[in-house]
Amino acid sequence: MENLIAELKERIIESLNLEEVKPEDIATDDPLFGSGLGLDSIDALELIVMMEKHYGIKLADASEGKAIFQSIGTMADYIAKNRTK
Amino acid sequence: MRKPIVITGCGMIAASKISKIKHLDFEGFPFPVGEVDITNEDLKKQLGIPTNTDVGRTTLLGIYALQQATNQAKISATTPGKKFLISGTTAGEMDLTEKYWQDIENHTDILLRHDCGSCTENIAQHFGFIDQCTTISTACSSGANAILEGAELLEAGEADIVFAGGAEALTKFHLSGFASLMILDREVCRPFAADRAGLNLGEGAAFLAMETEEHAKARGAKILCYFAGGGNACDAFHQTASSPNGEGAYLAMTQALADANISAIDIQYVNAHGTGTINNDESEMAALRRIFGDNLPKVESTKSITGHTTSAAGAIEAVICIKKMKENPDYKYVMDNSFGFGGNDTSIIFSSPLECGRPRPPKNMTASKDACTPTIAARCEITSEDDIAEIKNYLKPAETRRMGKILKSSLLTSLKALKMSGIDVPDAIITATSLGCWENSEKILDDLPAPKPTLFMQSTHNTISSNIAIYLKCHGYNITYTQVDTAFDRAMRKAELLIKSGKANTVLVGLHEENTPKYCELMLKNGKKIKPLQSLSIVLKKK
Repeated sequence: MENLIAELKERIIESLNLEEVKPEDIATDDPLFGSGLGLDSIDALELIVMMEKHYGIKLADASEGKAIFQSIGTMADYIAKNRTK
Repeated sequence: MRKPIVITGCGMIAASKISKIKHLDFEGFPFPVGEVDITNEDLKKQLGIPTNTDVGRTTLLGIYALQQATNQAKISATTPGKKFLISGTTAGEMDLTEKYWQDIENHTDILLRHDCGSCTENIAQHFGFIDQCTTISTACSSGANAILEGAELLEAGEADIVFAGGAEALTKFHLSGFASLMILDREVCRPFAADRAGLNLGEGAAFLAMETEEHAKARGAKILCYFAGGGNACDAFHQTASSPNGEGAYLAMTQALADANISAIDIQYVNAHGTGTINNDESEMAALRRIFGDNLPKVESTKSITGHTTSAAGAIEAVICIKKMKENPDYKYVMDNSFGFGGNDTSIIFSSPLECGRPRPPKNMTASKDACTPTIAARCEITSEDDIAEIKNYLKPAETRRMGKILKSSLLTSLKALKMSGIDVPDAIITATSLGCWENSEKILDDLPAPKPTLFMQSTHNTISSNIAIYLKCHGYNITYTQVDTAFDRAMRKAELLIKSGKANTVLVGLHEENTPKYCELMLKNGKKIKPLQSLSIVLKKK
């Protein structure tokens, strides 16, 4: 799980082009949206694309992302349970 | 007194139902579409074009619709007067580019016709009697803006007859792009319904033959209806989402009503933008309530029949508005709303021939010829990628993280030119570009059928103008021309017209191009040496 969390931080920074953010700046339980990293709905779409590309998880509806993308921690839990690659 | 503008011909081709993809070679695309049920080969046969030639479907649909309009208006090579074609398109001949993209090194000639303007030129050439043309790319409001532009050119006396409308064929590029934004409905879309779940993309084309009433009467043409007025405003909120109170839509409708010299109560029918997405319909309804209060006229969206035909939508729905007016003699004024990515919102109004067009309020034309000549207040140009770094002095990295180089260079030169001229927010923003955000388009072509949503939402030509508007919160007139060699001249001419007519005192005009190393190399094979970057921003103001 620790490896997955570290990998996710790197991937989020890369796919969202967060050039000023370092992996250690993102706490595992920090909110990703609103406060915290301050991501928005377009970032959520990018995260959906990233999950499909790297972990083979396909979401049918963007609203499903809300619960999954609360924090790096909730994302890692979901990916660990549902990944197909 | 302003010259009344009339419509003497309408032509349209669109789907009549939403169904599974049949003609576009896009196996496995899971969403239904509004596809015109005819093959390219059959279209070519009907139009007398050799079937073995590569012609984009947008061009074919455009020719088909324009043929109908010229036939109805009885306009041919022998009709006197200067004829101008204004077409709205964003995809252009993207279907050809994506067909050859994997092997583009051996098909570099395709790139010579990739720009939207090339598609308009092909349509014009087919008829042989069109003297001049231009292309407008404001994404899903392109067709409506073309019609508004047509009326303005006729009023300014730049043409005697204008053919204005839009054309757009379905492409893998934008089908995949909209899918990445997760706003496509798996069922037939349900605009304004509580259980709506997104839009269906469609394709088609429509053109109107427009002329002054005087010109139409002199040649004995039948008047179908009047162009009563139009408004163009920018929501300046977000690249893909509309603001909760529908500010851009509200301003566009308000201006259209004022331009037509009527009140909200005079409108009997609104063909709404009504895409069926949660966001659009909520925002548009908020704007409609602000305009009409509790007395809503009949409001409908025809996108559940045609699909959302993107750049053609404003023109197709204008033809539907005109048809509705003919079927319902009590409809005196009808309104056509079209909104695009980046908040490029336009509303146009037609009036019935029985209404004869209420005299429109005179534009605030300055009497002295000298006083109405706009002056250049500032000019800023960059041609090197190294110069873009200066944007750090204006914006935080978090604000530019999504912007490609053209968005940064265009915003930087705009901010510098505005600063030099001492203007915080201009009254209008006008952009000329041939390929728009080409860097993003190239990545999307590489990534098909799964492009990155961030790249797609910043791949339309009008992303440049709306990015500037969003940053400046500029709700004024906002338009993008994409006719390669003449776009900048048109943009400058437009700025002049806006200033002369009193619609703007200050206008920000830009010429922006970006190219990738790959594109520059491919174009060298075509014998064309092109610059990797050019951003020129000019501020014009009333003397």
